[in-house]
Amino acid sequence: MPIPRRTARRAAAAAAALAVVLPLSACGGGSGGGGAADASGKVQGSITFQTWNLRANFKPYFTGLIAEFEKKYPGTEVKWIDQPAEGYADKLSADAAGGTLPDVVNVSPDLLAPLAKAGLALDLDKAAAQYEKEYLPGAWAGHRIPGMEGTYAFPWYLNTGPLFYNKRLFEEAGLDAERPPTTYDELFEQSLRIADESKGRIATLANIPTIEDFGRYGVPLMNEEGTAFTFNDAKGVELLTRYKELYEAKALDPQALTATSESAGKKFLTQSVAMNPGSALDLEKFRKDAPALYENIGITEQISSTGKDNMYVMGVMVNARTERAPAAVAFAHFVTDARHQMEFAKQVAIFPSTAGSLDDPYFTKEDGTDGTRVRIAAAKSLKTAVNYTPVLMSDQMKTELRNAVARALQGKESPEEALDNAVKACDRLLRQS
Amino acid sequence: MTTPTASPTATAGSTAERRAPKSPPPGRRPRDGRSRIRRHLPTSPWLFAAPGLLVAGAFSLYPFLSTVANSFTDRRTLLPGRFVGLDNYREMLGDEMFWIGLRNSTLYVLGVVPALVVLPLLLALLVEKQIPGISFFRSAFYTPVVASIVVVGLIWVWLLDERGLVNAVLEAVGVGRVGFLSDQWLLLLSAMAVTVWKGLGYYMIIYLAALANVPRELHEAASVDGAGAVRRFLAVTLPAVRSTVVLVGALSSVAAFKVFSEVYLMAGPDGGPAGEDTTLVMLVQRTGTGLSGRVGYASAISVVVFVVTVALMLLVLRADRKEGA
Repeated sequence: MPIPRRTARRAAAAAAALAVVLPLSACGGGSGGGGAADASGKVQGSITFQTWNLRANFKPYFTGLIAEFEKKYPGTEVKWIDQPAEGYADKLSADAAGGTLPDVVNVSPDLLAPLAKAGLALDLDKAAAQYEKEYLPGAWAGHRIPGMEGTYAFPWYLNTGPLFYNKRLFEEAGLDAERPPTTYDELFEQSLRIADESKGRIATLANIPTIEDFGRYGVPLMNEEGTAFTFNDAKGVELLTRYKELYEAKALDPQALTATSESAGKKFLTQSVAMNPGSALDLEKFRKDAPALYENIGITEQISSTGKDNMYVMGVMVNARTERAPAAVAFAHFVTDARHQMEFAKQVAIFPSTAGSLDDPYFTKEDGTDGTRVRIAAAKSLKTAVNYTPVLMSDQMKTELRNAVARALQGKESPEEALDNAVKACDRLLRQS
Repeated sequence: MTTPTASPTATAGSTAERRAPKSPPPGRRPRDGRSRIRRHLPTSPWLFAAPGLLVAGAFSLYPFLSTVANSFTDRRTLLPGRFVGLDNYREMLGDEMFWIGLRNSTLYVLGVVPALVVLPLLLALLVEKQIPGISFFRSAFYTPVVASIVVVGLIWVWLLDERGLVNAVLEAVGVGRVGFLSDQWLLLLSAMAVTVWKGLGYYMIIYLAALANVPRELHEAASVDGAGAVRRFLAVTLPAVRSTVVLVGALSSVAAFKVFSEVYLMAGPDGGPAGEDTTLVMLVQRTGTGLSGRVGYASAISVVVFVVTVALMLLVLRADRKEGA
């Protein structure tokens, strides 16, 4: 039967209208509040667990962990999904928007914030408050979102690391390689010296300052209410001004304006920059991939004006819309409990966030090796370390800051102007979030 | 004159058939197979087209309409949008990064399209000759086309790095190091060079197909008239491949305006120093993705990209019509 032209037109118009209306109603969980899934009840059923680039190196650990959980709770089944590091936030956002977010998800606090605001993260203060005392207070608090009530993820592993430096490059510049810089003044002074001695061929740093650097320099990053950024204060301007001096003297790598932490790490590996932050994981990489560098490697503490190092925090959140809340909560706790975090820490250079774990002899007893030395120093610094990255700072806001820093270093704007503009842009994005 | 109620079994092609009712009178069944086919004929094209229409609707039309709809909302990745009218478009006008993106995408078209129209044609003229070993060169020129853009990008980043091969050579000959990847304009030029290098082989193949259809007799006649190689190219080859030149111009200008990968790989996710090398599509990606992505605003930029690419196509086709007239 032919389709009358009028009917066809109406159908097309209806389809177009539907297409227009559907996106407006699609997904998006509404705002705030955390989920209301009930975590009481029998631990059973099938759940999904997503990690962040861990399968390649730790498959046996996780398969063992899952088998142990399934044995402890008969009737449960855990399906493990691992996502690559690249584009992890995009994958999470696609899953969250599409309603396919796994039941238990590995997140960092800045990824957690938008999920919690969209009501996709379970409030553990309501659903699992009994576990709070098992974790370091700072780590538990690290998963609270300013402006919201509740805690939205179990603390998992922590990471921090020293500053690595190339002794040979320090010596060639006439510096004492056994006395690396310990303050910002010394860092800037020695960086200029290295650039001067090498006629601009050797830079000391390969990255422009990030929000963590501003934090370590003692710049207040956000107000207490979490409603506005404050890194444009006098101290922030001072830090940027000093970095500008480094950039102009080529003590900061010319490609720093477009560098990522990976590309900066590569420059340190190829010995074209003299210093780079890293973690205990990197020592093994230097030994394998850059033996010439490894022979000259120097290890020193992070430079901080606040007396507190920067640390990275990982968490495990429970999807507020899970249909198996008891199993999901039980599994998220199981993964992050003291025994399993300790086991995981012994396989990889990370640190547990559970109370008392850092007092284990594994983190306190020297055996004379570099690896142990780094581990012990890092564990010690973690007791006071801070996650300087504000949890409300999104990727777009970080880009605004990086662009502002680049404009200041190039001389297109004064450091003050650049930071004022960055704060304005970040505050606007914060209001829109 | 045959009455409208003439028999449905009238001879095919007759006036009677053309005026016959499309279905038999109520209560009467068609008497042969041909009538049955005729009865279903009007629906058949729709049935055949249905799978294609469904796929196009689901993966092209719906996303397109949905993007247009989103552009009038403040939708975010995880939060539903409210209708905000033209706010996103108004914001765009005052957004410095949008203008930077528009500038870079336009510069990309201006820098890349002439090279991609002319160079592959010259290359095709060189490799169209049937001489021993020519297939090696054809394959060599085509290799960048099939290589992954990520691999290509990384290789060029290594080559153009401050301590890369190109700078080592420049330093050895006394020019000194050049900041291909740290200077805003050199970075954009480097990305354009990679786009041209990667696209040469693709358009060369299109030109080769066109050149194969240029009548040999015309060349022979021109030769007899004393025309040299350049004259023959201008008087015979170029007019014969004119429509292909237009096609290449249209394809390459749309591709150049939508450039993403080359600039992203060479300039980094921020789009070069202070984001000065950001293109419009990079801006869409940066603004609209991630957990805090501003889907509404990114959709508005996408709509602008769509309008500009359609305008580019129309411009090229119009220029072709004028020239052909």
